[in-house]
Amino acid sequence: MSAFLQYVVNGLTSGAFLALVALGYTMIYGVIRLINFAHGDVLMVGSFIGYEVVVTLVAQHWPIALIVVLALLAGMAFTGGLGMVIERVAYQPLLNSSRLAILISALGVSLALQQAAQLIFGAGFSAYPGVLTSAGFSLAGAHVSWVQLGMFGLSLLLMLGLYLFVTRTMAGTAMRALAMDKDAAALMGINVPRTILLTFMLGSVLAGASGVMQGLYYTEINFFMGFLIGLRAFTAAVLGGIGNIPGAMVAGLLIGLIGSFSDGYISSSWSDAIIFAVLIAVLVFKPTGLFGERVAERV
Amino acid sequence: MKLVGSRTAATIIFAAVALTTAACGSSASSGGSSGGQGGQGAILIGVPVPLSGEYASAGEDILHGAQLAAKSINSAGGVNGRKIQIVSQDDACQASTGSQAAQKLISQGVAAAAGGYCSTAAFPELQAFHRMGIPYVMDASTNPQLTEQHFAEAFRTIGRDDEQGPIAASFITGFLHGKRVAVGNDNSTYAKGLADATINALRQDGAQVVFNNALTPGQSDYTSFLTKIGQAKPQVFYYTGYYPEFGLLLKEAKQLGLKFTMMGGDANNDPTLIKTAGSAAAGAMMTTAPLAQFLSSAKSYVDAYQSAYGSSPGPYSSYEYDAVGVVAQAIKNAHSTTPGKITAALKSISYTGITGNFHFDSAGDRKPANYIIITVKAGSFAPYKEYDSTTKQWTNVS
Repeated sequence: MSAFLQYVVNGLTSGAFLALVALGYTMIYGVIRLINFAHGDVLMVGSFIGYEVVVTLVAQHWPIALIVVLALLAGMAFTGGLGMVIERVAYQPLLNSSRLAILISALGVSLALQQAAQLIFGAGFSAYPGVLTSAGFSLAGAHVSWVQLGMFGLSLLLMLGLYLFVTRTMAGTAMRALAMDKDAAALMGINVPRTILLTFMLGSVLAGASGVMQGLYYTEINFFMGFLIGLRAFTAAVLGGIGNIPGAMVAGLLIGLIGSFSDGYISSSWSDAIIFAVLIAVLVFKPTGLFGERVAERV
Repeated sequence: MKLVGSRTAATIIFAAVALTTAACGSSASSGGSSGGQGGQGAILIGVPVPLSGEYASAGEDILHGAQLAAKSINSAGGVNGRKIQIVSQDDACQASTGSQAAQKLISQGVAAAAGGYCSTAAFPELQAFHRMGIPYVMDASTNPQLTEQHFAEAFRTIGRDDEQGPIAASFITGFLHGKRVAVGNDNSTYAKGLADATINALRQDGAQVVFNNALTPGQSDYTSFLTKIGQAKPQVFYYTGYYPEFGLLLKEAKQLGLKFTMMGGDANNDPTLIKTAGSAAAGAMMTTAPLAQFLSSAKSYVDAYQSAYGSSPGPYSSYEYDAVGVVAQAIKNAHSTTPGKITAALKSISYTGITGNFHFDSAGDRKPANYIIITVKAGSFAPYKEYDSTTKQWTNVS
């Protein structure tokens, strides 16, 4: 029983990080029908920005709480800007060409970000200085650390913020309108290029936040980390019904739990196989995802 | 900026090495005619190592070790009244370049070869030396297959991957008194081989293997993998994969409040591990071939290296020092520079090197293989225990 509970705790933690990334996939797909393969690498860049901030400020003995907040803000600000630049440079000129062109452009951006990070930050692993406590408490035999709880809470807060933004503001309504019908939205006076840019910024900010949080929590980062996280988050986005924001949140947590249970009850070396089998099964049997209304394009 | 700097540095080093090699080459050809065939010129020992590419710095460390060995042999009067001369060639850690490097050394008239870094390059080098009947003493290549080909010319001064497992098992059962042991790997050939060898030895030593599974490298979250291990209630967990994952395992095990002892294989001897795991790394143990810094017998070597090259001698240069030393001893014993006679002398040699006493078994592997246990102490790796074969006890590394 305690093991089961522990698997749930572990799964929800990694799932919360995934959900933040899955949101970016789903939002961007919603507005321009693009699987943004560079999304995981945006997360990686955010992680490295946070790393630089933490390393610099720890050396100057700033208070830890302030360092964490500044690292998060720096990572989010940088990835937000990066997301907009990527959209302008790599996607905007191709919006009216074939889906394949823009997909290949996304793959190119992904490789460019990886290689650039490798050149700037090195090919090896970097480790965040261990600033956070590993203390925690016991809950019916399962260990929960305070940091774990904090990260989970922060993820939920960011997701709630996004949800409120999308449902309660003008800009959010414009995004939803764009997702429904691009041409009609333009006719209603929505500034389409700006709304697309805003969507990229929001998605990238969430990826950046997830990157810094993962860096702080797991400590170890490298230039290739975005690949696997990106794949898993993409699976979550498809599982939740790509384009569906609440769906991505729930499916992110679900993928985290599936990974955790297969680590625990089957074998860790099978986890990815199981997660990607879920992806294939969803694409084959329920292409609209668990909560989706729109038909997902097969990639 | 960093990149530009290191590239420029690499170019300079490469140019310097190329010049040195060229200089050696010319002196070799002038002395070659008398060198190979029992004249009074220098005895040439070939050193194929990577001097360009990703592993260039490791190759340089090894070459420095060879040069220091030659220097100390020559200042003690040389071998049979003749001097030792080191001739190096760049093998770039590649099979094709390795083959060429060996050919060049052969054409320069080396009496024996001592060196190598990557097993990938060592295979074709060994092939080439084997065809010419020239003995090749390897200092860093641990792939078991190298000596499994049973070439008479193959020797090594470092242990094999599959000898580490029994030593790990002996430490776990003999010193840690582990009765219930968990073993984990990452499904790579090296890690799986080490895990299998360890499990076999653990069973022979009477321990129960309560968990044996692989994780997927590259993930960040191993908490559920660890929770599963915790369910098996082991006393010791031995991880045979690489340092990025072991660092995370150490950190996350502490976070989960798991209490079993954690130990890693020799791919975990990397400072990144300590940075990743932070305070959770304290007390973690690893099986590894000892660094020169950990051996009292190598102290004067470490000092000499430090003063000559201004850096610590790297993980393998002390094994290269012994490789050159054992070749010189074999030439002395054989009273000949004929490669076949040197090979025969190496087969029966018993040598006291800076990395310990050893001889070669029929395959050419170092006996006894000298793995020690190191531990993380005050934020860095420190020597911990070694097996004393006379008292059959695990003792502090002297």
